[in-house]
Amino acid sequence: MSDHADDGLTGPSSLDRRDFLKWGAVAGGSVLAAGGVGAGLPLLKGPRLPWDIDDIGLPPSGPVPLTGGEWIPAPCWHNCGGQRCLLSAYVVEGRVLAVKSDDTHPDSPETPQMRACARGRAQQGQVFGPDRLRYPMKRRNWEPGGGRRELRGEDEWERISWDEALDLTAAELERIMAEHGNESVLELGSTLRRLFTALGGAVTNWGSTSWGTWYHTGPMIGLGDGLSSTSHNDRLDLENCELIVLWGGNPAWSAQGNSMYYYLQARRAGAKFLFIDPYYNDSAMTLADEWVPVRPGTDHALALGMAYALLDEDDPERNPLVDWDFLNRCTVGFDPDHMPEGADPADNVRDYILGRRDGVPKTPEWAARICGVSAPRIRRLARRIARTRRTALLTAWAPARTHDSDSWPQMFLTLGCMTGHIGQQGRMTGVSCWERTADGGPFLVGAGGTGVPPLRGVPRRTTARINNSELWSAILEGEYTAGDGDRRPIDLRAIVHDGASALNQVSGLMKGIEAHRRAEFVLTLNFVYNPNARFSDIVLPVTTQWERHSYFKGNRDHLIWARQVVEPQYEARDDAWIAAELGRRMGIDFADMLPVSPEQQTFNRLAGAWVVGPDGRGRERLVTITKDDIREMGVEGQPQEGRITLPEFREKGIYLVPRRPGDGLGHIAFESFRREPERHPLSTRSGRFELHCQRMAEFVRDVGFSRIDPIPVYRPPAEGYEETFDDFERGIKGPHPLQLITLHYRRRTHSVFDNVGWLRESFPQEFIMSSVDAEARDLATGDVVLIRSRHGSVLRPLFVTERMMPGVVALGEGAWADVDFRTGLDRGGATNVLNGARPTGQGHQGWNTCAVEVTRYRGPQRLPPDWRQPPRQPKGAV
Amino acid sequence: MTTALGFRIDASACIGCRTCVIACKSKNGLPPGRHFRRVVEYSGGGWIPDPEDPTLMAPSGIFAYCLSVSCMHCEEPACLRACPTGALRQRDDGVVVIESSRCAGCRYCEWACPYGALSYDPSSGRMAKCDLCIDLVDGGEEPWCVTACVTRALEVGPIHELRERYGSLDALAPLPPGERTRPRLVITPHPHGQLAGRGTGHSSNPERDLR
Repeated sequence: MSDHADDGLTGPSSLDRRDFLKWGAVAGGSVLAAGGVGAGLPLLKGPRLPWDIDDIGLPPSGPVPLTGGEWIPAPCWHNCGGQRCLLSAYVVEGRVLAVKSDDTHPDSPETPQMRACARGRAQQGQVFGPDRLRYPMKRRNWEPGGGRRELRGEDEWERISWDEALDLTAAELERIMAEHGNESVLELGSTLRRLFTALGGAVTNWGSTSWGTWYHTGPMIGLGDGLSSTSHNDRLDLENCELIVLWGGNPAWSAQGNSMYYYLQARRAGAKFLFIDPYYNDSAMTLADEWVPVRPGTDHALALGMAYALLDEDDPERNPLVDWDFLNRCTVGFDPDHMPEGADPADNVRDYILGRRDGVPKTPEWAARICGVSAPRIRRLARRIARTRRTALLTAWAPARTHDSDSWPQMFLTLGCMTGHIGQQGRMTGVSCWERTADGGPFLVGAGGTGVPPLRGVPRRTTARINNSELWSAILEGEYTAGDGDRRPIDLRAIVHDGASALNQVSGLMKGIEAHRRAEFVLTLNFVYNPNARFSDIVLPVTTQWERHSYFKGNRDHLIWARQVVEPQYEARDDAWIAAELGRRMGIDFADMLPVSPEQQTFNRLAGAWVVGPDGRGRERLVTITKDDIREMGVEGQPQEGRITLPEFREKGIYLVPRRPGDGLGHIAFESFRREPERHPLSTRSGRFELHCQRMAEFVRDVGFSRIDPIPVYRPPAEGYEETFDDFERGIKGPHPLQLITLHYRRRTHSVFDNVGWLRESFPQEFIMSSVDAEARDLATGDVVLIRSRHGSVLRPLFVTERMMPGVVALGEGAWADVDFRTGLDRGGATNVLNGARPTGQGHQGWNTCAVEVTRYRGPQRLPPDWRQPPRQPKGAV
Repeated sequence: MTTALGFRIDASACIGCRTCVIACKSKNGLPPGRHFRRVVEYSGGGWIPDPEDPTLMAPSGIFAYCLSVSCMHCEEPACLRACPTGALRQRDDGVVVIESSRCAGCRYCEWACPYGALSYDPSSGRMAKCDLCIDLVDGGEEPWCVTACVTRALEVGPIHELRERYGSLDALAPLPPGERTRPRLVITPHPHGQLAGRGTGHSSNPERDLR
């Protein structure tokens, strides 16, 4: 990090592992001091790294001895996009020696073991990592009111007691709220939400992140958002597909765990795979029969070209390509005869495609120039998809994570409706990504509620919510967008990072740093020294899930119950305890903050856990609970009968619903709707799929950033392909000629895991560039390159590959920013340094539209591989 | 030696996710910088002016695949021949193991092995390597890399059985041709797999290239 002088980084590369670890554990010792860091950090008492070969008690190398301990279910708890895998930790005397994944039952394709990815298996690296926050800390030059604010991010730290930390935090929040009102506090996480609710509320943030525009547009037009509701069939039905189109997705990276295994079952059953993506990614490598490279942010144009080809070539008798029956019965807005109530018949999709509405036919030739796919190929693509009877038209959120893409989900749906690939065996259209990759449909098993009553009856003193792309400008400029033509003043004084990783994870990071240095008070609750913590005044160390009473998570077919694996590390405490202690100091009743004990919450979730009936109907209780179980847990409750005993569930940590083809538990999305749309209407205004959606246009208008049409009109996105030109018509490129996409990277789940050595080594956060673009710039793999956007600059090692489409470059999202304040360069590879805060449409994050230039870096900074760089630890703290 | 054990890798299912690598590191206590198992990425092809639209570029023969590689427990192990102290030996079941106390740390075996399977441990000054998790295999369990694989692309078993079931392909580019050490390895090729020694592509992670 830039905490350390450049030459300080020469240290570890010349050391072997043994010295490196010792050096990490005592960071601030002689090696760092030579780098100009200052005060050292004494060797701390606490669990050593499980693989720390320096520590006494373990052999110097070789297999980890698995004796004298027990395996405890220890799944990940992160927002990882994986299938919710099971891990177990081998615990000896409170220390985790190794981690393995699910072996609780024999593995089969129908009922697979929930195997975890590399990140899960490296979990101990963050629970016990050298950058774990150990004690409450205060920034040395902070004082109530802010102190020397400009030092945030570079200041040293002082260890303080919990009492002092809680007193200072409560007093400062109280002072700011008393002087400037509740509307002066910006809460960017959620773990203190109950506390702030009790205090009358704080300002919160809003805006779709991962989902892109699927979050709002999806449900309005009749499709699922892809997470809370899905539009694809279940995983066993994928085996009925002849063709699976994966449009803009890479589950091998973004949905780890079993998802690729599910797709591989479909391939083995005979399905062909067609990938549409700028990158011949690892999922395409494994599955694709055909790869169609497309420019980022232009998927909509490609789909329009395909739709034109279908209309152009369709002949109901001799060459049926368009499913008119489906369009007529199940959709509104496609042609003037099937418009929703009150809509102008001129605003129909067909006439827009054919150019009758705006004079521009959306021909494959028109599309080719924008999306980079040749017109003949666009026609072949359209025919292949339309003529293959059992086709799954699947997309991930990435193409919707672009500016001005509010109508893209509707265009994708239009293609699905025109080809009729909806609501039948082996036929589906929708999002297949993240946790729900390759497996749609309602859950078959789930946990009960915690029993914690919501806090009601406290009058709210602020209702202000700020869009993610205006967070930092709201602090810096004192104004935010509250609606259409509605700009409001706001005076934010405090930033509270209670969870999440907002500074690193929303667009406009450089502005974010400025905003953090402007605020009067910045508070972070976290378990590692991430960028949120680094730019704070007070840091409160929290427990990881491994240190808490329980955790429930699952997916469609399974439910995981994780219990405590190890004791809280160092002085870390649960967020709920912190909220209660802060509340007590601010006049909030302790019982209001912690009304139900963790043990009772665990019991309530178990007692309320359910599983679908054997033939797919009804729900049964999942867990058998005896009087002894209740007594042992020390909770209130009644015995009950279920499928699995409480001790067995606790021991295994997982319950899986056995699956087999034809078991009645499968799912065909929209099956009954397709059969009888009148009897089973969708929850849209019209009850049909809305290819004309007035509600969507009104919604975007009311948000206040831009306007869209009710039908899927292509809008060249802000910072999209068209903006890489100075003169698009004449083909003259501008100063930022390359398009950046930001990938879910295998090292991390968003920003989590960026601190783990094994993962830093395996996944080097390389900047990916096409061999064509690299050759034009005389660049090669391993060169350190300077990546510049309109918003910031990043240094990274280059990785050149023919697998990337020319004109497109890529960087994994989530790396912790490591900005050098003298040069303004980020050495960590944080994509939000490059992504500017530019709100459009429904206020989603447009991460995959960003124009950049890339040159060889010739400056003085050195950039050793990430895994050889020192762990990121607070300077000066004891 | 009919019971000799070997690996099968399904290159058509390997997604290059490194879960096997991390599982191996976890089992063997290997810090960053050391590994018994690696994932080799091999790719090739390029871009040409689109024959259907000269204003665009089109991919031409672009391919990629991954191979998860560790000690191959070869029938003619080069490491064993190179070792001057006799620290390396082959068990009856074919597993090549190293007797640490006899290792002088000369690293000849590391240079000799064409799979880069041997790892120098700077803390002990000795070599270490994959022992096929023989502690688990002897007890009827499977190696951690195998049970870790999310696409079930790794398998271990008696090599003659694996060859009967999956064929005798024991090399794909960029691995060296099998004749050199006769690895106990069966590869189910990726559809774009290229013959060892005759590949048209390149390793995508050259810093860990094979010799």
